[in-house]
Amino acid sequence: MRFSWSQDQQAFSDAVRELLAKEGTPLVVRAAWDAPPGHLDRGVWDSLDAMGVLAVLVPEAAGGLGLDETFLVPILEEAGRVALPHPIVETAMVAAPLLGAGIGMIASDLGGPLVPCAADADRILLHQGDTLAVTDGDAVELTAATTVDGARRAATLSTPRHPEVLTDDPAVIALALDRGALGTAAMLVGLGQAMLDLTVDYVSQRQQFGVPIGSFQAVKHHLTNAALALEFARPAVARAAWSVAQSTPTRARDVSMAKAMASDAAELVGRQALQCHGAIGYTVEADLHLYLKRTWALARAWGDTAHHTDRVTHALEADLPSA
Amino acid sequence: MHVVVCVKQIPDPAEPGKLEGDLTLDRSGKLILDESDSYGVEMALQLVDKAGGGEVTLVSMAPNNENSGLRTALAMGAAKAILISDPLLSGAGALDTAKVLAAAIKSAEPDLVLTATESSDGYTGTVPEQIAALLGLPSITFAKEVHIDGQSVNVRRQTEDGYDEVTCSLPAVVSVTAGVVEPRYPSFKGIMAAKSKPVEEQTVVGLGLDPARVGVAGAGQEIVAVEDAPVREAGEIIVDDGEAFTNIVSFLDGLKLI
Repeated sequence: MRFSWSQDQQAFSDAVRELLAKEGTPLVVRAAWDAPPGHLDRGVWDSLDAMGVLAVLVPEAAGGLGLDETFLVPILEEAGRVALPHPIVETAMVAAPLLGAGIGMIASDLGGPLVPCAADADRILLHQGDTLAVTDGDAVELTAATTVDGARRAATLSTPRHPEVLTDDPAVIALALDRGALGTAAMLVGLGQAMLDLTVDYVSQRQQFGVPIGSFQAVKHHLTNAALALEFARPAVARAAWSVAQSTPTRARDVSMAKAMASDAAELVGRQALQCHGAIGYTVEADLHLYLKRTWALARAWGDTAHHTDRVTHALEADLPSA
Repeated sequence: MHVVVCVKQIPDPAEPGKLEGDLTLDRSGKLILDESDSYGVEMALQLVDKAGGGEVTLVSMAPNNENSGLRTALAMGAAKAILISDPLLSGAGALDTAKVLAAAIKSAEPDLVLTATESSDGYTGTVPEQIAALLGLPSITFAKEVHIDGQSVNVRRQTEDGYDEVTCSLPAVVSVTAGVVEPRYPSFKGIMAAKSKPVEEQTVVGLGLDPARVGVAGAGQEIVAVEDAPVREAGEIIVDDGEAFTNIVSFLDGLKLI
């Protein structure tokens, strides 16, 4: 059995990493904090679209690449690594398999009532009662929400006028929710890695008592614990990607395990990163907060850790032989 | 329109470089496409597009049949590649490289040969002109714009104080400066397609070259020592008495920046 990404999966995520290193800089994230609603810059989004990121899960017959979630998860980890402000999970992971290729930018309330990039998206995917529906942005009233992460550009939605119902199949809706949680877990692993890298870099440079603070055992312990949590979460996310791609009976349990572990790992990395940065980590000028605040937001989106550990518990209880 | 682009696969500059026992660069690990060559590839693809047909062929010399850098350029849209990989080429100097590349280019019979001005690991900056001389073709260096007009090529050639317009007949060898076009990102479909694009593997003997005249045997040079680059000296500190700007102006003037 092979426990690593294939050459193709690696080549795709390498290409995305290279693109995001040039076009997904902290300046892009900072610009997303400041741009007025409806004016999120789409430069990096258009480049990702041209590369084929948004069409990974779209069947070949519908103009996509016809690949599965094991290809998209490493890509979303890269998107997390740069705290990409655009709704890539909602569009590439959740909406694209339902709506096809060339759908533009899709926001969605499936991950929670605070809808990221609602005013910037071309359409909004809605969880309406027992249905999934889509609507144009101008068919709902948006109320900008003040949230911890300004780059998420979140808003709450009014009840939409005449949304187009896509499905009322509970299995399709459950799959969409699992895909969203899986994609968010991948983003969280990337965010955790970004904060760890940033902090290792910082403690290797910042000197105290004549030596880099990273040489102190207490600092090493903090960052080792953070790295361990991340390394344990990463395979759980990969396993969940495989379970979703293969539609295994354990899909829901594996996705919940991945989301809970990724949320907890990224939050732990964030806490240690902030601690090791010291006072400068609290400043707006330091990039750490861009990743930290996204982590806090995403850990609570698409079901928080309590929700997902409950799902894991119920799945395990259902597997127990009855007394 | 058939354009050959010479591309070099180099150790990732982001990794610390290592030297072999004979003081040559260790190239045993994964090699990547030299970024300075991505501009030539992009320009070639644009020229073929403008010409309304044709293809781009890559020519590269690398150890161990390494082709990961070539795959990147094939994913951008090049049609095929010729890879010369031969243990005989270990320790090859600039002129040996030019001889090998020229032989491979000759077999491809291109209308135009594009190169970078220099590689990011060797920096000799002489290979393009040597290739042109060996093939008996006109050579234009430091191109910032290239236009094909029938059987001739028109180039805006970067100079210290502007550019020259140079025209010559095809085929020709043109070296392209970095940053003049925006290299495209390989698309996922391009990455998948690149796997099945042909990479013709060649050897020194296969190209009809004399093994005694290339590689260490024919380099005509030897690396006797490698030393670290000198540490950058501290800058000059000027106390501003209200006239310090004149020092800045004369400094910039000395660099020909103003």
